[in-house]
Amino acid sequence: MSAFVYRPTASPQDAAAWTRRQAFLTDLRAVGGRAYPRVTGMLREKSWVFFEVLLPFLSTSAFVFVYRALAAPAEYIGFVVLGGAMTAFWINVIWMMANQLYWERSQGNLELYFAAPIDIMAILFGMALGGMVMSTTRAVAILVVATFVFGVTFQITQWALLIAIFLLTLAALYGLGMVLASLFLVWGREAFQLTQLFTEPIYFVSGLNFPVGRLGLIGALAIATLPLAVGLDAMRQLAFSNADIPFQTPPPAIEALILVVMTVVFLLLARWMLRRMEELARREGRLSLRWQ
Amino acid sequence: MPTSPGPLAIEARAVRRVYNIKPAPVVALDGIDLEVAPGEFFGLLGPNGAGKTTLIKILTTLLLPTSGTAKIFGFDVADDVKRIRRIMNMVAGGEQSGYGILTVREQLWMFSQFYGLPRKDGWRRVDELIEAVGFTEQAAQRVSTLSTGQRQKMNFVRGLLNDPWILFLDEPTLGLDVAAARSVRQLVVDWKAAVPGRTVLLTTHYMAEADELCDRIAIVDHGRILAIGSPDELKRRVQRESIFRLELDRLDGGIAALARLPGVVSAAPAADAESDDDRQTVALNLVLEEDGALGGVVGALGGLGSHILALRKSEPSLEDVFVELVGRGFDDVDGPGPGTPDPVRVEGEHD
Amino acid sequence: MAVTAAGPSAAPDPVSPDPVSPEGLGSPAWGGFDHRRTRDPGPVAAWRGFRTAVSLGWQMEANWTDPLLFFIYSVAKPVSAALILVVMLEIISGGGNPGYLAFVVVGTALWAYVYSGIAGVAWSILDDRERYRMLKYIYVSPNDFLTFLLGRGVARVAVGAMGTIITLGVGVVALGVRFDAGAVDWPLLVLVMILGTVAIVAVGVLIGAVCLQTRQESWSYPDAVAGALFLISGVVFPLSVLPSPLQAIGMLTPLTWWLEGIRHAVFPAGASGVGGAGSLWTSWVGSVSPDTTTIVVALLATGGLVTLAATGIFRLSERRAKDRGLLDRTTGS
Repeated sequence: MSAFVYRPTASPQDAAAWTRRQAFLTDLRAVGGRAYPRVTGMLREKSWVFFEVLLPFLSTSAFVFVYRALAAPAEYIGFVVLGGAMTAFWINVIWMMANQLYWERSQGNLELYFAAPIDIMAILFGMALGGMVMSTTRAVAILVVATFVFGVTFQITQWALLIAIFLLTLAALYGLGMVLASLFLVWGREAFQLTQLFTEPIYFVSGLNFPVGRLGLIGALAIATLPLAVGLDAMRQLAFSNADIPFQTPPPAIEALILVVMTVVFLLLARWMLRRMEELARREGRLSLRWQ
Repeated sequence: MPTSPGPLAIEARAVRRVYNIKPAPVVALDGIDLEVAPGEFFGLLGPNGAGKTTLIKILTTLLLPTSGTAKIFGFDVADDVKRIRRIMNMVAGGEQSGYGILTVREQLWMFSQFYGLPRKDGWRRVDELIEAVGFTEQAAQRVSTLSTGQRQKMNFVRGLLNDPWILFLDEPTLGLDVAAARSVRQLVVDWKAAVPGRTVLLTTHYMAEADELCDRIAIVDHGRILAIGSPDELKRRVQRESIFRLELDRLDGGIAALARLPGVVSAAPAADAESDDDRQTVALNLVLEEDGALGGVVGALGGLGSHILALRKSEPSLEDVFVELVGRGFDDVDGPGPGTPDPVRVEGEHD
Repeated sequence: MAVTAAGPSAAPDPVSPDPVSPEGLGSPAWGGFDHRRTRDPGPVAAWRGFRTAVSLGWQMEANWTDPLLFFIYSVAKPVSAALILVVMLEIISGGGNPGYLAFVVVGTALWAYVYSGIAGVAWSILDDRERYRMLKYIYVSPNDFLTFLLGRGVARVAVGAMGTIITLGVGVVALGVRFDAGAVDWPLLVLVMILGTVAIVAVGVLIGAVCLQTRQESWSYPDAVAGALFLISGVVFPLSVLPSPLQAIGMLTPLTWWLEGIRHAVFPAGASGVGGAGSLWTSWVGSVSPDTTTIVVALLATGGLVTLAATGIFRLSERRAKDRGLLDRTTGS
């Protein structure tokens, strides 16, 4: 039967000898393959529109009303709105990436991923890409709706830098997500619970609702280590360029460089850690153990 | 063992695997030596907890051996991981992997991407394989709605997507009904027959499955290989002669006449013969040196004027082999029962 | 069991007695089956099942790490949430609004309890269905399904309570929240806690009903719902800040009255979340803030409605899940 024969090779050695191009294309296809169920799932079950878009908008609005109660300058409303939009990506990183390998192991998919001739980073990229559709929808919804409802006025003069910083922030965020995914693979249940620590505590040190520079040393450390902190701060400085508010942080161009460094460091670190974690998992038999 | 040029499909040397778990470490594999030639259908037969799945996980690069080495077509499982993953695939029984929200077709296409098939090729190959295994009706069904047998068929198709040189099947018919299990077994046979050189390693605790499918079998228990050989060779350890039960309409000259024929070791009336007043039949057990002697016996019976009414070969089962080696059945509690002989360790008698 | 042809004088055929007849089922030939086992086990068994579920939930919530890390984990989230608001206040008011600071700290501390109660039932469903694949076995056991889920959720509520108490402590010790133990209305506090907990868990049951129908990704739904309720419940700002329609919705929410009751009981001198200048309450009723009786009655009424609705909707969802075979599916993408 021809169905049982596909591109036969002369020997297993020939079949195993892939070129770099073949290996790269396979990883690329794996990205698309893994993104597919995410996107399809979103289209098939649409409850996320209510829970992932509308309700988070209301949550963001709560902080807007706090500033209104305090009669804060109008730019602070904009800070909250921008922060609310960026949480969409952070939530995607911690729930849909960092935790995901742990889930995949529970469902028996992790073994199959590792048994395939792909880099596990391709799988994580695919998850990120697939989840980005939902996150982007959430972020745009919050941004657009809140802007109109609360009358936020943006003062953007450097569009190119703003877009670049946004993309760099995403890259660094997802790089960090991969680092966390590798840790979660080894930590197991502990890591799953620790996801809780990556919500409010990170929001606080990242200055989700206020300029992170106001946190002093903590803010400085956050700028140096957390993509959400530095990216959000840079975007605020660019989005409200005329604001008479002391950010007390480096200028956006410097923060863009910080993001570049973060992206490279996180991606390299993720690559290294995923390989070490895979080896450790293979040594200890954790690729298919459940209930850990 | 059949010989062929090139590296062995599987070569394991002194493979040991210890799990460090509480309260005490578990030795899952205790020095496994194994050679499987390309093109073989090789079975690992043993009870639950024997170490079959652990060995498969090592060979499929999901687990590292604690000590020893293992190679797949010359590629080391510890160091040449990527190369091995390009030429192998695995299917386990009871797999619940995948994403329930996808259809069968979509799920399989997704996996085709993990093996580097171009996008359109992937869809086409998935459709071809779905049709080849008779799964067309379920192609558009969501994975979460499949029955156990259907799911396993889908898993099996997944295992064939990348046209592996070696396919690892870890209890692939576990939990399947008779028809589904038969269907899966037939698929494996058909797939393997399509290209010479394809190798299959099957682990199972179903004797009949191993007997039916495998060229050679290794019997495993407590992390060790107790015996290796073809099903016939293994059974001959328990019973070297061929035993046949014959029913004849008559036998002139009596049983003694048969016993004198060349190749006949002994002949005796069958103990379970049923008497029937309306029909005179002669039922007897014939022990031959080998199957080939049967032709002479049949010819001699014809010369004596006897007609054969029924002929059945009596063979020991693989469980008989296991009991002979270990002193207990697959379902018995660990360790020999009272009154049974000490377990016979036959590592030195591997073929 | 041998089946024999029986003559008129032979022993009774063990197969032929009417299976409905207790004698038939209870006879030695049937193994002495006790038909009383099929009856409703009653409240004692229900309580035992609930207790077991509580114990199970606590084991799963608390045994994944060492006590110190567990403590940090339980406290970090609510304390951080409070600090976010504190910094926001500090930036704008420069420390010149201690009354509002107390309002905010108390609100966010209590919200940790709300969040854990809301997430408890929902996450129990997702945990047992997706991770442990036990949901179907629990469902077919004689225990009431909802009772089991409530028990499983209790552990998370306990963890949330711990976080709340510690955050309040941090607020009093480090953030300038004034607390006078002698001024606490303990009976009101106990009553409001009981009524409020029921209402909080009811909201959790509502979300659980949704999670029974949706995919694995609904892990974030409790977050989303809690976030939305955060807006309209007077957690970090008085309802008077909101537009009137949202204020009205807020006053129909039991969580609003629960928070108001806690504030009234524990910090009687503090600001009201419901009343005050510009609030719908003051414009309707005329008083600056609701009194004790009003708070209790409102909490009882709104909580009762939510509890009834949650129970009904959960049963409907359960029925739908059974119809569509959702109880033993695993989802995920």
